[in-house]
Amino acid sequence: MAEEFNTEGMLDIYLFENQQLLEQLQEIVLDQKDEDCFDEDSINEIFRTMHTIKGSSGIMMFDNITAVSHKLEDVFYFLREGHPTNVPHMELVEHVLSVEDFISSELEKIQNGDPADGDSSEIVAELDAFLTKIKGGDGKKKGKETEVSGNVHEEPTQFYIAPVATDDSRFYKIFITFSPDTEMANVHAYKTVYALKEIAEDLLYSPEDIISDESCAEPILQDGFKILLQTKSAKDEIKGIIGGGYEIERVDVFECKKEEFFQGFDFGAHSDQIDLESSVEDIEAKAAGKEAGAAEKKEDKPKMAPGDFVIQSKEPGKQKKLARDKPKAEKSSFISVNVNKMDQLMDLIGELVISESVVLQNPDLKVPGLNLDNFTKAAVQMSKISTDLQNVIMSMRMVPLTNTFQKMNRIVFDVSRKLGKDIEFEMVGEHTEVDKNIIEHISDPLMHMVRNAVDHGIETNEERAASGKTEKGKVTLSAKTEAGKVWISVEDNGKGLDREKILEKAKKQGLLEDGKPESAYSDKEVYQFITMAGFSTNEQVTEYSGRGVGMDVVVQNLQDVSGVLDIESTLGQGSVMSLKIPLTLAIINGIVVETGGASFVVEIGVIKEFVRVKEDMMIHEPNGEEYIMIRGECFPMLRLGEWYGMETEDYRQSVEDGMMLIIEVEDRKVCLLVDRLIGEQEIVVKPIPSYVKKVKGLSGCTQLGDGSIALILDPAGLM
Amino acid sequence: MDELKRQEEELMDISEEDEAQKSKYMTFKSGNEYFGLKIQYVNEIIQIPSITAIPRTEEYIKGLINLRGKIIPVIDVRLRFKQEAFEYDDRTCIIVVMVEDVVVGLIVEQIADVIEIRDENILPPPKAGRSDRVDHKFVYGIARVGNSVKLLLDPDKLLNDEDFAAIEQTNNMISMKE
Repeated sequence: MAEEFNTEGMLDIYLFENQQLLEQLQEIVLDQKDEDCFDEDSINEIFRTMHTIKGSSGIMMFDNITAVSHKLEDVFYFLREGHPTNVPHMELVEHVLSVEDFISSELEKIQNGDPADGDSSEIVAELDAFLTKIKGGDGKKKGKETEVSGNVHEEPTQFYIAPVATDDSRFYKIFITFSPDTEMANVHAYKTVYALKEIAEDLLYSPEDIISDESCAEPILQDGFKILLQTKSAKDEIKGIIGGGYEIERVDVFECKKEEFFQGFDFGAHSDQIDLESSVEDIEAKAAGKEAGAAEKKEDKPKMAPGDFVIQSKEPGKQKKLARDKPKAEKSSFISVNVNKMDQLMDLIGELVISESVVLQNPDLKVPGLNLDNFTKAAVQMSKISTDLQNVIMSMRMVPLTNTFQKMNRIVFDVSRKLGKDIEFEMVGEHTEVDKNIIEHISDPLMHMVRNAVDHGIETNEERAASGKTEKGKVTLSAKTEAGKVWISVEDNGKGLDREKILEKAKKQGLLEDGKPESAYSDKEVYQFITMAGFSTNEQVTEYSGRGVGMDVVVQNLQDVSGVLDIESTLGQGSVMSLKIPLTLAIINGIVVETGGASFVVEIGVIKEFVRVKEDMMIHEPNGEEYIMIRGECFPMLRLGEWYGMETEDYRQSVEDGMMLIIEVEDRKVCLLVDRLIGEQEIVVKPIPSYVKKVKGLSGCTQLGDGSIALILDPAGLM
Repeated sequence: MDELKRQEEELMDISEEDEAQKSKYMTFKSGNEYFGLKIQYVNEIIQIPSITAIPRTEEYIKGLINLRGKIIPVIDVRLRFKQEAFEYDDRTCIIVVMVEDVVVGLIVEQIADVIEIRDENILPPPKAGRSDRVDHKFVYGIARVGNSVKLLLDPDKLLNDEDFAAIEQTNNMISMKE
């Protein structure tokens, strides 16, 4: 009897499934927020979603979630069955979203291990009021209301009173009828049995293989769930234990004689006596043994014993069947895997890549006169496989941006309603897949950008009318992958950035370089000012388009994932803000270089070319800065060794001995002087241990083929 | 390694049961003094491998080493105590310590011994007069062992201390920006 009703593994699944359901729900709601009312499919879908959440929350005993979802289900039940015509759509949308928010926040609490203690009464009351309102205002449909109340639980009104047994123990027959649309009725049934075990002296139930045989959920729904119980407790107590619960439609408890009890169920050829001392495993083992007979049993069941008070399912609507089919069909091709395991696999593959290069570049192979033909062949094959393996694990970590984009949809909806702006929201390419790590990092920046676009980018309705813009305010969120990068852009057709005003502001804050005329700044450079910390917090900001609220945070977050922000804008016509982010961070293709005896890695994507330069191509400025003229273009030059103060004895002073890397980041080019090139290699990025404080221009470290460590250069940090 | 650690811990437990007033210390020589470090902080002792220097960081952080696939920073204890640098030779060792999940290697001139020190033989460092000396804050006690004296190190202070303050400062700056 010591075993607990174990919810641990179930909890993860519960959270996962319900979070998905809520996302779906939000998608549906936002999709139709601009319509006059929800269409029939959506009403059904929302009803079903709420119903599923209610059911599973009931099992997990999160009463507040159950209560809220039940109320919303009631509302949609009424909408579905009652077809009221006077439903204020916006109000309904808000109610649905507030329920969704409530449940989401509760789920989050549960996920963090906190008790789900949110107070549901306010939302329930609101929904009640709303339901009364739409019901009350719809006189014609009154007739339907009785039917509507079918979803509300009724207490059983009829009792059959059996003669009291002479013994101290009493015997009961219990019939439980579940709501016809209950999901996983067998689990609910088990829950009841488990609760009854507390008081039971002897317990018998049918169907008996409720734990192992999921398919018995169907007969339980149809025929009810029957329990024979020997106990000292009174009838009311039993009822109390079985309880109401949203899924249980009706509980009938009949007291019976001892003989009747031992007869078992009237049809009970298949019932199994369950010894209370036996553990769940025993029960399951018995159930497994019974499975063979399950088929015949099903045929037996409809022969109900006389006195069975099973009420026929009231309205097994056709839509519900659809509801069960649909998610199952989608789910069958997915399994959910713990992210930790994925990370572990990722790490292992990283190690594999490293040890692969340890083997393939092993100094032992450099012995002259070795015949390595077969080795080379095998090595090529192995590299191919490990590359494939990397690609597969990468694709496993890829998640579509859909959910992130949906959240933005919600933000546009909320903010635009609050500001009273009429804004259309369009998503393009939301199925683009991105590494999971990256999604976590871009969610916040995107939110800032979208909020900015709605808040500051798009004018108020009056302003738009005044400036002669006929089309609706529109925010477009789009994503695409190109050249190993993800491009995500937020586009609005608002008023755009005002170059003059930004310049003015920058001048006031002393951000402009001395002696550089304002006209010498390119538009891009000007727009970059708004991403500087503190630039936007000035009081005058709201006078121009006001972009820059949190823009520095956006840029900071982006830098964490090596992303860049690109701003384009046309005054009066709108702006486009694009994020450019590498698809993945963990394994990169890099060029290993050496300078001053230390190895560095430069990501291959930023290197434009390698050049050997002659001394006469150099331009030396009096202040010590150096430039190089290459094919008529002038590049600033950086000596990597000097930059890091690594002039050891083998450091080369002359540019002619070294190798020049032309690096381009965000349209800025710089020449990097290193001692020599080592080669190209796939490298696994590891963070520099946090004990060492962040060094400018370094983004991580990696282990090279020979086991030594190389530092990874962050080109943006060198500029 | 874990196995060893567990054994060590078991040993510790036993000795604690036997005589609660005794604990084991790893001692090493740096400069002219001998220092002691509580043994439970010590993961292992390795010979000095090739060290990849990290530019633009504190002088005493010598760089990164590859410890069986794990990349850990190493610090030079002499430089940490603001003493003169020394040439690394084949007696130079790295004591890999773990303090609150941070794994760091300590480069020391010479490993001495593992000794037991009774608590009654540990004195607090003298406070008067010399409190301005930098290395004092790393030393939480002075132990008498026979005729010699060992300076007992607080590994937490050895690794963090002022660095911590610096990190907190930068963190504050970042949060202020946000």
